[in-house]
Amino acid sequence: MTLSQPVILGEMPSLSKLYVNAAATAARRRVLGTQAGDGLPAARHEVRGVKASVENLTAYQHLIGETASDVLPAGFIHALTFPLAMSVMNRDDFPLPLLGMIHLENKVVQSAPLRFTEALDVQAWAENLRGHRAGTQLDLVAEVRRAGEDAVSWRGVSSYLAKGVFLPGIDKPTAASAAADFSAPDPTALWQLGVDTGRAYAAVSGDFNPIHLSVLSAKALGLRRSIAHGMYLASRALADVGAAKGDAFSWDVAFEAPVFLPARVALDISTGQDSDGAWRRSDYVAWNSRSGRKHFSGSVAAL
Amino acid sequence: MSVNGQSAPGPKESTTPATPGAVTAAASPSAGSPAAGAAEPTGRTAPRLRRAVIVGGNRIPFARTGGAYTKSSNQDMLTAALDGLIARFGLQDERIGEVAAGAVLKHSRDFNLTREAVLGSALSAETPAYDLQQACATGLETVLGLANKIKLGQIDSAIAGGVDSASDAPIAVSEGLREVLLDLNRAKTLPQRLQVLSRLRPKDLAPDAPNTGEPRTGLSMGEHQALTTAQWKITREAQDELAFNSHRNLAAAYDAGFFDDLLTPYRGLTRDSNLRADTSLEKLATLKPVFGKNLGSAATMTAGNSTPLTDGASTVLLAAEDWADAHDLPKLATVVDGEAAAVDFVHGKDGLLMAPAFAVPRLLARNGLTLDDIDFFEIHEAFAGTVLSTLAAWEDEEFGRTRLGLDGAFGSIDRSRLNVNGSSLAAGHPFAATGGRIVASLAKMLHARGHVDGRPARGLISICAAGGQGVVAILEAL
Repeated sequence: MTLSQPVILGEMPSLSKLYVNAAATAARRRVLGTQAGDGLPAARHEVRGVKASVENLTAYQHLIGETASDVLPAGFIHALTFPLAMSVMNRDDFPLPLLGMIHLENKVVQSAPLRFTEALDVQAWAENLRGHRAGTQLDLVAEVRRAGEDAVSWRGVSSYLAKGVFLPGIDKPTAASAAADFSAPDPTALWQLGVDTGRAYAAVSGDFNPIHLSVLSAKALGLRRSIAHGMYLASRALADVGAAKGDAFSWDVAFEAPVFLPARVALDISTGQDSDGAWRRSDYVAWNSRSGRKHFSGSVAAL
Repeated sequence: MSVNGQSAPGPKESTTPATPGAVTAAASPSAGSPAAGAAEPTGRTAPRLRRAVIVGGNRIPFARTGGAYTKSSNQDMLTAALDGLIARFGLQDERIGEVAAGAVLKHSRDFNLTREAVLGSALSAETPAYDLQQACATGLETVLGLANKIKLGQIDSAIAGGVDSASDAPIAVSEGLREVLLDLNRAKTLPQRLQVLSRLRPKDLAPDAPNTGEPRTGLSMGEHQALTTAQWKITREAQDELAFNSHRNLAAAYDAGFFDDLLTPYRGLTRDSNLRADTSLEKLATLKPVFGKNLGSAATMTAGNSTPLTDGASTVLLAAEDWADAHDLPKLATVVDGEAAAVDFVHGKDGLLMAPAFAVPRLLARNGLTLDDIDFFEIHEAFAGTVLSTLAAWEDEEFGRTRLGLDGAFGSIDRSRLNVNGSSLAAGHPFAATGGRIVASLAKMLHARGHVDGRPARGLISICAAGGQGVVAILEAL
């Protein structure tokens, strides 16, 4: 894919407007039977000079259990860039329905710490459209630089699945990758997630996706109950890893079973050290403390 | 290991710590020659420091939560324990050098809990006081801090103590209500106030009760200990036996009148209400496990081999020798030395309550001592599994080598010297009050024992605490 000049937006788009627009687009496509096309839009969206609100940052840090420093947590930056990534998926030439997409994986590389006082340039685009046994998947990439700088300080790749959507020309993998049997280890932590967990994260992330907000709004979208936001779960795991990770690290998560609220989620974090005893990586896995079903797993590693 | 502390040179050498990096091993000339050190306080501290002696103690009987002290506040109980101490040692209107105490479950209005208790007591109102909070180590840490001030000559007398009420625990308002109330206070105009109030939601009115979960893990202390108990493969039978011994020993101590000069009745209680003199191993074996039920291994921790939530208070009178002599007061024991440790429990490197397993080897090494040199072990029974896991770690070759930096296992203790007058499983455990209970009881036991093989009888106290901490201390008979 050739990269075009970025489409520069005047300000960070409003997520609520994007959700409304996405619903309208979905309805229009259903009524008119139109399709947007087979390929991903080549356009990159960019917003310059973005600044985080310190009140929002504090509320996020308190909710997630992060140290309330002036450095933006990597998960907070994801939430900051998310409206721009959404705006790419909201384009008329985006081939997949935005609503109902499933977040499969998230990979972040935090190369340098960013503080709330700094103005940030944010770019987002879609790439890597590919088949999945259950539909079509793609990556949404976001990059954050200090305003005017070339070096990328934060880069996030979010892999989404449009379930049941098969585009022409994209082969679907023949066999499902065999899910390894999971046997829960002894936990190192236990999270009690109340029914309001989704709303609390919506309030600090700005992502008011109805599947996280309430039983009713989730049912309207076909779920039996509301589910915890994946990035809330992954961000809490990142916070639980603690200060050992320092300022520069990679942070990956792969989501498996959704966490229906309320929930008791058990977590195991294991630490890997080098021969000098210095922290190298922390691997985490979370499961339902009653059923033992795996919810998600991932790692945080030194760069 | 022999009962009389007459350890042969062989085992002693094998258990002498090989000065691992963590241990600041000062020269300890009298380590192996008890007679030479008989009149000297053990330890590495500067020779000019004077001794801090334990004159005595007083506590109120400990009550299971929801029992005799349901309506008693922390301040009520601390004042009661303090007044009993004052009466016992004739301290009315006395200006004590300093009083330090604390509570683990403490309301913010009790910011000056100890000073308020002093003002409500018969002590001189010119007695200063401060609060201290180090979870379950609070009581022992007040003893160590005040003893250090006495040793340095800053004060001549001190009262250490602690209190906790699980019945009268503070309950916080929800975070939503708290924020609204704070913002309301900042709002200046009526419309602003109404706007703030409009944010209130029904769920904000639900109170936020304290829980026993560790903040960073969400696991309760019992669940944490269940992980450690399983890791060290401590059996249900061993835990029940320890609990049984605790009840048996405490009951025997009461029957022998041991607590007659350590305790003041309060609110109708004359003995700790958790004590079950008639319990048996058979009865303990019938109890269902309460912790560790979701682990891979069998659950072994029951209400019988775990401490119950308890209310109570304790105090200890400390002094410089001159002060005690001038007031014609007894001198039971000296506070020799203390050590705090902490473990990295958050991701399971060590068990939450295992810090004393590290603190004791460091403390003994600094004082040139081994486990064989201890005549009384007071290892706080947060759970039977805590005591047994600590002992198992000390007996483990691998733990000794890799974690303590020794040549092999740290050593084993003579179980007949362990918690000989009962401990927390029988007495109960009002968190901050446990340190004072143990220090006063051990000082009395040491004084009664007097000398062993020409050296003062020696006791070791080990207390684990939330947050992966532990505080340990050595006392010696006078």
